[in-house]
Amino acid sequence: MSVEWIDAALRGEKRAIARLVSLFEDRRVDRASERRRVIEALDAHPEVRAAAIVGITGTPGAGKSTLTSEIVRHTRRLEPELRVAVVAIDPSSHVSGGALLGDRTRMRLPPGDVNVYFRSQASDTALGGLSPHTFQVCRLLHRLFDVVFVETVGIGQNEIDVRHLADRVYLVMQPLGGDEVQFLKAGIMEVPDEIVLNKCDEAEAALRSYRALKAALSLARPFDGDSIPIHRVSARTGMNVELLTERILERARLDRQSSLHAREVHHFARWVEDEWGRVGLRALESFGGAEAVMREAGDFDAAQAFFDRKVRAAIAASTAS
Amino acid sequence: MSEVDRERPRHMLFDAEGKPTRDKPWIFRTYAGHSSPRASNELYRQNLEKGQTGLSIAFDLPTQCGYDSDDPVARPELGKVGVPINSLDDFHILFDQIPIEKMNTSMTINGTSMWLLALYVALARERGVDESELRGTTQNDIVKEYLARGTYIFPPEHSLRIIAEMYEWCLEHVPNWNASNICSYHLQEAGATPAQELAFALVNAIGILDLLKERGRFTHEQFEQVVGRVSFFVNSGIRFIEEMCKMRAFAKLWDEITRDRYGVKNPKYRLFRYGVQVNSLGLTENQPENNAWRILIEAMGVTLSRNARCRALQLPAWNEALSLPRPWDQQWSLRLQQILAYETDLLEYPDIFDGSHVIESKVEALCESAREEIDKILGMGGVRAAIESGYMKSELVRSMSERMRAIATGELTVVGVNRFTEGLPSPLLSGDDGGVFKVDSSSSEETLAVLEKTRRERDPARVKAALEALKAAAKNGENMMEASIECALARVTTGEWANALREVFGEYRPATGIEGQRLGLENDRVEKLRARIGALVDRLGHRPRIVVGKPGLDGHSNGAEMIAVAARHVGFDVIYSGIRLTPEQIVESAVEEDADVIGVSILSGSHLELADQLVAGLERAGAKDIPLVFGGIIPKSDFAALEAKGVSRIFTPADFELVEIMEQIIGVVEASAKG
Repeated sequence: MSVEWIDAALRGEKRAIARLVSLFEDRRVDRASERRRVIEALDAHPEVRAAAIVGITGTPGAGKSTLTSEIVRHTRRLEPELRVAVVAIDPSSHVSGGALLGDRTRMRLPPGDVNVYFRSQASDTALGGLSPHTFQVCRLLHRLFDVVFVETVGIGQNEIDVRHLADRVYLVMQPLGGDEVQFLKAGIMEVPDEIVLNKCDEAEAALRSYRALKAALSLARPFDGDSIPIHRVSARTGMNVELLTERILERARLDRQSSLHAREVHHFARWVEDEWGRVGLRALESFGGAEAVMREAGDFDAAQAFFDRKVRAAIAASTAS
Repeated sequence: MSEVDRERPRHMLFDAEGKPTRDKPWIFRTYAGHSSPRASNELYRQNLEKGQTGLSIAFDLPTQCGYDSDDPVARPELGKVGVPINSLDDFHILFDQIPIEKMNTSMTINGTSMWLLALYVALARERGVDESELRGTTQNDIVKEYLARGTYIFPPEHSLRIIAEMYEWCLEHVPNWNASNICSYHLQEAGATPAQELAFALVNAIGILDLLKERGRFTHEQFEQVVGRVSFFVNSGIRFIEEMCKMRAFAKLWDEITRDRYGVKNPKYRLFRYGVQVNSLGLTENQPENNAWRILIEAMGVTLSRNARCRALQLPAWNEALSLPRPWDQQWSLRLQQILAYETDLLEYPDIFDGSHVIESKVEALCESAREEIDKILGMGGVRAAIESGYMKSELVRSMSERMRAIATGELTVVGVNRFTEGLPSPLLSGDDGGVFKVDSSSSEETLAVLEKTRRERDPARVKAALEALKAAAKNGENMMEASIECALARVTTGEWANALREVFGEYRPATGIEGQRLGLENDRVEKLRARIGALVDRLGHRPRIVVGKPGLDGHSNGAEMIAVAARHVGFDVIYSGIRLTPEQIVESAVEEDADVIGVSILSGSHLELADQLVAGLERAGAKDIPLVFGGIIPKSDFAALEAKGVSRIFTPADFELVEIMEQIIGVVEASAKG
């Protein structure tokens, strides 16, 4: 029984954490009840934690992995008592379904560090920068850690999902990637809470890019009261990374106690779409919408089984008639 | 001129006085070194007695990667693929009774090349030998380390600076030393075609010369001399006519480049000088005795044409695909060179291919494609840009997968592997030692004891000052050679020298060649595999996950990368952990990722130690149930021991069919599925 892993997982034992993560990634619907038991047991546990979820997104090549690994290093040094998890998502092959998850090589974290847990995830066939299971896994890690970093596949037109997952989203860009205008077109500029301009060791390009970005932002988000912070850093030389980390941790402290409940509604609808497509979404609507279904079923896990049953029954009824 | 010139026939060689003569042979070397400085010293003295004319030193991986022998990451590799060197005290033992002023010493050393040269110079100083008389080569070709071999330490810009400083220092102090040796050897091992080998090696040389020019520390005369010191280290493969043509193409292109790009007037400094290590890639584990013929043929490719003959030749041993060679195996290869040079009439003729249309046309064709590729890379911004962007790596990986595909489909014949595979068992493998060499594990104790003694007896204040001076030179751009020599004299250790520079320069993390591979695997068997993976997804609730990694310091990453790509191709989620990992790191990956199977690639001969460490690590983490599969150069005689330790499957170079390997790995996952 998976609940047996809970004490060990809260103590930081990696095998236990990993097995639980696998349970939350498990795509079989009948595992929902098991997940529910784990969540309930965790919520009743005196040692339960409540992590802030920090989204790190950006174009491929912007240096997300290296930057994330540097941020984690600084976090370990600045606040050694914090428990940190990293979830890094890489794309799956559409031909074979398999994926190459190479972030571990880019992210050389100190080996044997019991307070850092790293997990790779394949995007599967999902569009949106996250895997269909990222939210599920975050529900778990939220309760086991103090900060959870989620590094998305990349960012493109559909990849704004991370907004619905993270407490705060950092968009990593590189100078003169030509991204400013593209992002503006794609509406990406509406995603981040803060922007990190990486590779700023090339001073001149960095300054030009910084200005272009400022201009693009004022166009994209004219109604923001405060302008979005833009951090100029270099993961390679370490420039300003410590400062950025302090900022992230400070924000994370404020976000720590936030609940994932509101986000569950969104991700429940996402799950319905992943599993059942448009038919599913229409059915969800006819049952009164995601929030109503979740309320009726009791919680997020129960809602999956509940919806699964209901929609199968509806399909059976319609084919029988 | 149809008539034979009776005075000076064109088929004969004449000396300066007009007397008939024959050429002096090339330098005979054997790449050697193992266990400990003392054991290697004995081996070198034996080899010199047998008629070897130069030394070629193989260092163990910790020395190559800048770690002391007692570093945790070094322990399983200690003395495995070469000799461990921790300090000047080890060099005194290594060269005991060997007159270094008379030797031509080649050191296969790259990331720590400056350090090993500093040790050699320091040895000369302590022995009272005039350092300007030293002759030899530090391999020091960092490009191929990034691309194929993996013993880099620092990022490219700093590594290139080290090479440049060695050229600058050597020209003044050790004028007969080849500060670096542009290697195309490993490019061919990594799968390069002849045109790629030519182009990549030459842009590499261009990169170094451009850098030296840009640094502007030489007058033009000195620069010409430096061009004359650039030497190459080349591979010779089984297509020996083409290989011979490749060598002629090298000479021709190098002459063009040095003349046109660098304005070198003196033809002496435009000569293409090269040494050879005959190809080990084509050596097979199946019917290994056939390799003796392959080595002979490959040796001819680099000796037949006088105008493109090598300066020094190293031959592998017939059993290198099985394990490290024994002294007898090396002697057998040395005898081949001696027969070729002294028994045959090879050295009595001028170039026997001059005037052949066929050869001329082939050489021109090779030059043409090489020039195109050179222009392409220079257009990208040169060799450094082509490494950092991953271009060269992915080109090589593509060529390699093409080769694998051709062998798998039978398009490329490899006797004993995909044709004529039925044969009688080889009596060469039936000796007590199974025809393979085993490192005596007690020799590492001696190495560690010497290291401990060095640390105990040295003057700590002098060590500290020497390291501070080294770091200061590294920071403010001074030449680091003298500071390194002082480190050597002060008994600084290899790990301390490298760590001091790691502090200043940082460590390099490579681009992998994983993207851009084409496996040519689209058939029923792949479809069946994907269906089996699909069934596993339903059974496990997730796509099966394989952790692929390479423990230890050996950086030949091609095998691991090929497995990673093949595994994704059939539908695994592959956690590729990269190279140079400690067993603890692999265990940690497997545990954190909740892997269904772990695949590790090992070529260094440390498979038994690594199996112990991996199994112990998994046990400590409560993850003993994750199955392990091994691949690499692993002798059959070790299979039983590995299986007893808990390794589920073992793949060797004889298992060249990726689909077959995948079928077996999926079988392992199915058998252990946790459900």
